[in-house]
Amino acid sequence: MVTSLLEQDIAKLIVQTLKLKVDPATIQSEAALFGDGLGLDSIDALELSLAISQTYGYQLKSSDPEIKAIFSSLRALAKAIEKNRTK
Amino acid sequence: MSLDWQQHQERGSHTSIRMMAWVAQSLGRPVARALLYPICVYFLLGSGAARRAIEQFRERVFGRPASWCDLFHHYHTFASTILDRVYFLRGRYDLFEIQVHGLDELDRELAKGRGCVILGSHLGSFEVVRAVGLSHRHIEIRILMDEQNAPLIRGLIQELNPAVAETVIQVGGAETMLHVKECLDRGGVVGIMGDRVMQDEQSVVCTFLGGEARFPTGAMRLAHVVRTPMVLFFGLYRGGNRYEVYLESFSEEVQLSHEQRATDLKQWMQRYADRLEAVCRRAPDNWFNFYEFWDDSH
Repeated sequence: MVTSLLEQDIAKLIVQTLKLKVDPATIQSEAALFGDGLGLDSIDALELSLAISQTYGYQLKSSDPEIKAIFSSLRALAKAIEKNRTK
Repeated sequence: MSLDWQQHQERGSHTSIRMMAWVAQSLGRPVARALLYPICVYFLLGSGAARRAIEQFRERVFGRPASWCDLFHHYHTFASTILDRVYFLRGRYDLFEIQVHGLDELDRELAKGRGCVILGSHLGSFEVVRAVGLSHRHIEIRILMDEQNAPLIRGLIQELNPAVAETVIQVGGAETMLHVKECLDRGGVVGIMGDRVMQDEQSVVCTFLGGEARFPTGAMRLAHVVRTPMVLFFGLYRGGNRYEVYLESFSEEVQLSHEQRATDLKQWMQRYADRLEAVCRRAPDNWFNFYEFWDDSH
C-alpha cells in the first residue's frame, strides 16, 4: 500500500515527539504502532495525542468508541486526523 | 526478579474470597478477623514463595532471620488489609480510626488546578486512599489498576461497589493514559502504584534496602508528560482498626531532559525508592510484595 502524504507527516510527528531512533519512512502504514509493532506504550500514546492536538487541532478522547481502532495503525490514525482536523 | 509477581496467581479461589466477603459483611469484622488466624496459617504453610519473600524482606530490614511468629504477624497484617478492603469498598470508613497526615500538602498541590498524581505502593493498603476522598467529597479519584492480573479483585470490586469499579482505569490499552489525562484536566487525582513492574513496562534499577531492585518508570514519565504535581501516598495498617495515611509532596513537576533522559528517570525513581525505604523501615510488616523483589536475591 502507498503511504499518503498525511501519513508521512504523522510518521515524522511520531518520531519527533517520541524521540524515536527510527527513520519515519520505515514506519509501515498498516503495522501496529503500540505493543508489538513500534513498541510504543500508552504514555507514548498520550504524548503523541497532545502533539496531534497541537499540530492538527484534533483532540483524541478516551470516550470515542473508535479510540482503540484509531490507535491501531498509522493508517487508522491518519484517517481519524483527516476527518477531525481543524488546522 | 521483579516480574515474578505476575507468575503468582491470586491466592485463594473465587469461592473462598466471596465467602470471606460474605462473612465480613454479614457476621461483622470481629468474626471475620477471628477467621483470619486459621486462614493465615493455611496460606503460610501452603505458599513457600510468599513465605520466602517475607523472610528475605525481613532479613534485609532487621538483619536477622525471621521467626515463625514474625512471619505469621506479617502475613496477618496483609490478610487484615485485604479483609478491610471489603469495608473500604462498601464505604464503611466509620469502622476505622484513620489518621490522615499531610492532607494540607495534597490540598496545596490540588489548588494549582492541574490535578495530581498520587504515587502509592504495595506497602500497606492503597484502598484507604478513598478515605481521602471522603473528607474531600468534591475530588474525583481514579486508580490505575492492572485488572487483568487480578480478575478476582476486579470481580470483588464490581460486586461490592459498582460505582468504585467505574473509577478504576484498566492498564494495557493505548488509550489508558487518555483517561488519566482527562481526569487530571478536570482537577482530579489519579492513583498509580510505583513499586511493581508490569509486563513490557519500562523500568530502572534502584538501590533499595541494600540491594538492587527494578522500579517501573511509568509514573515519572507520565508526570513529565502531563506536568502535574506528584504526591506520595502511604496507607499503613497499624493493628486493630487503625490506619495511618501519609501524603507527602514529591515533585512540583517532573522534568526529564532530552539529552540524559535515562539518567534523570533513574534519579527520580531513586528518590522515590529512598522514600519508600524510609517508610518501609517504620512499618516493615506492611510490605506486601510477596515475590522475588530484588534482582540479586537469587
